[in-house]
Amino acid sequence: MMRKRVAGGLALVLAGVTALAACSGGSSSGGGGTSSAPGSNGSIGLLGQFGHVPAMAAGPEHAGTITVAAPPDSAPTWILPMVTGATNSVYTVPEFDYQMYRPLYWFVNGVEPTEVPAMSLASDPTWSNGDKTVTFTLKSAYKWSDGQPLTSKDVLFWWYLLKAALKESPANWAPYTPGLGIPDEVASISAPNSSTVTMNLTKAVNPTWFWQDSLGSVQPMPSHVWDIDATGGKAITDWATNPADAKKIYDYLAAQSKSVSTYATNPLWQVVDGPYKLTSFTPSTGAFTMAPNPAYGGPHAKVESSWQSVPFQSDAAEFNAVKAGSIDIGYVPLTDVPQIASLASSYNEFGYSDFGWSYVTYNFKDTTGDFNNIIDKLYIRQALAHLENEPGYIKAFFYGAGGQGFGPIPEIPKSPYTPPNALTNPYPYSPATAASILKANGWTVVPNGTDTCAKPGTGTGECGAGIPAGTKLEWNVIYNTSPAVIGEQVQDWASQAKTVGITMNLSTSNFNYMIANYNDPSSPKTVNKWAMEDFGGFTNSTYPTTFGVFNSAGSSNVGGYDDPQADKLITASISSPNPDAVTAEAQYLTQQQPSLFQPNPDDAFGTAAILVWKKSVSGTPQSFESLTQAYWNPEYWFFTK
Amino acid sequence: MVGYILRRIGTSVVVLIGVSFFIFALLHAIYPSPAIDVLGARANSALIAAWNKQNGFDDPWLVQYLHYMGNLVRGNLGYSYKLNQSVTALFGGVWARSAWLSGVSLVLAVLIAIPLGVYQAVRRNTVGDYVATGMAFSVYAMPVFFLGLILIQVFALDLHWFSFQGSQSSSLLSVVVDFHGMTLPVVTLTLLTVASFSRYMRSSAMDVLAQDYIKVARAKGLPERLVLMRHLLRNACLPMVTLIGLSIPTLLAGNLITETLFNYRGLGLLFYDALGNADYNVLLAYTLIGAVLTIIGNLVADVALTVADPRIRLA
Repeated sequence: MMRKRVAGGLALVLAGVTALAACSGGSSSGGGGTSSAPGSNGSIGLLGQFGHVPAMAAGPEHAGTITVAAPPDSAPTWILPMVTGATNSVYTVPEFDYQMYRPLYWFVNGVEPTEVPAMSLASDPTWSNGDKTVTFTLKSAYKWSDGQPLTSKDVLFWWYLLKAALKESPANWAPYTPGLGIPDEVASISAPNSSTVTMNLTKAVNPTWFWQDSLGSVQPMPSHVWDIDATGGKAITDWATNPADAKKIYDYLAAQSKSVSTYATNPLWQVVDGPYKLTSFTPSTGAFTMAPNPAYGGPHAKVESSWQSVPFQSDAAEFNAVKAGSIDIGYVPLTDVPQIASLASSYNEFGYSDFGWSYVTYNFKDTTGDFNNIIDKLYIRQALAHLENEPGYIKAFFYGAGGQGFGPIPEIPKSPYTPPNALTNPYPYSPATAASILKANGWTVVPNGTDTCAKPGTGTGECGAGIPAGTKLEWNVIYNTSPAVIGEQVQDWASQAKTVGITMNLSTSNFNYMIANYNDPSSPKTVNKWAMEDFGGFTNSTYPTTFGVFNSAGSSNVGGYDDPQADKLITASISSPNPDAVTAEAQYLTQQQPSLFQPNPDDAFGTAAILVWKKSVSGTPQSFESLTQAYWNPEYWFFTK
Repeated sequence: MVGYILRRIGTSVVVLIGVSFFIFALLHAIYPSPAIDVLGARANSALIAAWNKQNGFDDPWLVQYLHYMGNLVRGNLGYSYKLNQSVTALFGGVWARSAWLSGVSLVLAVLIAIPLGVYQAVRRNTVGDYVATGMAFSVYAMPVFFLGLILIQVFALDLHWFSFQGSQSSSLLSVVVDFHGMTLPVVTLTLLTVASFSRYMRSSAMDVLAQDYIKVARAKGLPERLVLMRHLLRNACLPMVTLIGLSIPTLLAGNLITETLFNYRGLGLLFYDALGNADYNVLLAYTLIGAVLTIIGNLVADVALTVADPRIRLA
C-alpha cells in the first residue's frame, strides 16, 4: 500500500497507489448507490456514496479523548507551517499542521471541494487593477492562543520567511512552482492596516486559481513569538526589510521543526491559531495527542474533545482494532469491505471517492512499433476507452465502493467545475463500438489476434499519419503491483482489448521505479521502453486544473502529451479571467482522452477504505465526510454519552 | 583462539566494506537519486535539482560513497530525509523492541524445540512423534500472516484473553511486562521457529542415537536419562548452535510481518517503510548493521561450537 499522497489544496497533488488507483469496495449497505440528491447536509443521498452519515446527535455533548486511526507510514515529520517537499503529505499538513495553524482559506466542505467561509481565516479576496491586485481581510474572530490578535503582520511574516526559505532551496516549500503563483508572480505585498493584506501581481491571473491554489496555501505565523533566531533570543523586528535576518529566523524555525522529539515540549509550537494544541508526540511511531485550544475563533462543537492519532503498522492491524472496538474513528480497508456488515451494530460507515483521477498514462513519445503515431490518433484513444468497463470494475474490484472517472474531474465528488461529459461516460464500455471504430479507420480487426493497418494514409477511413501498412496494434503496458486493483483493472482492460485484436503485453513494476524511470521529462533515455503505464493517479486541488500534467511543458507530463489546444485551455485556467476556464479545460481533456481515465475507489484518511466511527461519537456530517477527502475536522466531534 | 577471532574480525571488516560498496552501488543503479520518489511525481525540475543539491545527490556517486563512509567511521549513520530524524535516533527508538520480540521468541523456541526434537527422536514413529511432526509441518507450512490472524481472531477477538496488538509503549520495561500485549506476537514467532528447529533437532538426535558411543553407554548400563543428557543432548545440539547463530541477525531485522500484523513498531517495519520511500540512509544503515550481525552471529556460532565440542580445532 503505498501512499504517495500529498496534501490537497497545494495545487494538483499525487495520489499514488493507495488512494485513487487502489481499491475495492462493495455495497453491503448501499455501495455504488446512484441516488442523486443534494449533498449539502452530507447525510443522505450523495451520488455514489457507500453507507451513510447520520445527522448530528441532538442530545447532550460530552467531552473526552477521541481515538482516530492513522494508516501505516503516516507519521507527521514536520510542524512549521511551511511544509517542505520531502515532508509534504496529507498526514503532515491537513491532519497535523492544519489543526494548529490554519490556512487562510478552508477548501473542503464535507465531500465537496468547495470553500467553507466560516472556517477561513480571511474574507474572500477582492480583485482590482485588471486582476493584478488582490486584497483580503483577516477576520477579527481568529486570535493566537496566547490572546494576541491574528494580524496582517503575521501574513507578511510568513511571506518574508517563505522568500528566505525559497532562496535557500526551492525544495523548502512543497507547493512552490518556479514562476507561478506565490511568490514569484507577486511583485509586492503590503499591509495597509492590521487586518488587510494587498498583493500586487506581476501580471493578470485567473482570480479563482490564484485564490484557491496560491492563497489557499498561506498559513499565517505568530510573528510576535517566532521572530527569533535562537531559543530565548531577542526579537528580530526587521525581517521585512532585512533578508538576512529573515533567513536567520527561517533557519532557526526550520531547525526546530526538524527536532521531532521536541514537538510537544517546544514552547514555539504552543502558540497556535487552530482549534488544537499538541500535547504529546511520540517520534518513533508518530502517535500524538491534541487538546482543544480555548482561544480558537472558528466554529466547533459545544463541548470540545481532545483527540489522539493512533498509528497502525498495517491495514490488517487497524482493522483488528476496529473489530475489537478499540478505536473510535477508523477505517475498513477496501479489501475487507465484504466483512463490514459485522460492524453495523457498533460503527457508522461511510465511503466516498477522493477528488482526483486514476489513469493509465500513454507515452506519446514511444516510437516502438510506431506507437507514438498510433496513440496520437483520437479514434484510437476513444476505442481504448470503450474497452474499459468502469461499472464492472467498481462492482468486481472495489466491491461497489468507488466512483467513475472519465476525465481529470471525476463523476464524484461534485465540483463547481465539473463539465457535463464528466457525469456521463462519453465512451461507455462497448467492445463492439471499439471494433467498429478501428474498422472505420482502416484497421483489419482480428478478434483474439492482432489487428493490422490495412489502409494507410491520412484520408477518411484510413489509419492516419505516420502509420504504415501492416502496423500492428501491439504494445507493452507496465503496471504497479500495489495495490492489487491496479493490476486487476489493467488485466481486464487488456483482456477486453484482445477481443478486438489489440495486443497489450503486460508487465509489472513498483511505484517508485515507475515514476522515476517511465517518465519522459525526468528519464528521456527510457522513452522507448514503455508505451503505457499505470502507477496510480492524482488528487486534485479544489481548483482542478491539470497544469503540470497535460500541458506540453508540464514537469509531470509523464507521457509527453502535446496538444496546442490543451495547452491553450490549461494556460487559460491559470491566467484568464474566465471563471469557467478550468471547466472548459476538463471538458476538452475528457473528450480527448490523453490517458485512460479509471474509476476511483472510496477513500478515508488518505487510503483506499471505508470510513467507520463508533455510534457513540457524533458531530456535523461534514466533519466525517471530509475524512474521505483527507481533511480532518475533529473540532466538531463529541461523545454522545 | 584469540588469533582466530582477530583474523575473523579483520576479514569481516573487508566483507563489510564490500557489502557497503555493493549496496551503495546497487541503490544508485536503481535510483540515481530518490528525489522524485521523495518529492512526488508532481515535483518540477527546479525542486528536484534543489533537493539533490541539499542532500548531496548531485555529486558523483563514488564521492557520495566516500562521504557516506567518512561519516560512518565517525559513527554518523546519516539522516532520514523522509522521517526528518537521524538514522541513529530512528534505530535507537525501536531496535530494543525488535530485539526483545525476536530474542524472547528465539529463547522460547530453543527451550521447546530441543527437548521436543529429542523426544521425537527417542520415541520416533510413535503416536507422540507423529502428532508433533504433523503439528510442526502444519505450522511450518502456514504463512506467518495467516497464523497470526488465526491467533488474533481466536485469542484476542473471540476469547479476549490477549490483546490484538503488541505493546504500544515506548518504554522497553513496559514492553517486557506487557504479557497481555506481547503474548500473541511472541507465540506466533515461537511456534514458527519451534516448527523449524524441532525438525533439525529430531534429525540430529536420530543421527547421534545411531552412534557407537550411545550404544556403548547403554551397554555399560548407564541409565537412559544419563545417556540422553550426557551423550545425546550435547552432541545433537551442535547443529543447533549454528542455526541459533544464524538467527542473531533477526534480532535486528525484526520480523516484518509479525510486527505489522500485531501493530508493533520495530526495525523490520522501519526498513519496509524506507524501501517504499527510497530512504537511502535508513536502507544503507539497516543493511550494514544486518551484515555486521550476520558476521557476528557466525563468529559466535563458530566459537560456541569449539566450546561445545572440544574436538573441533580452530586453525
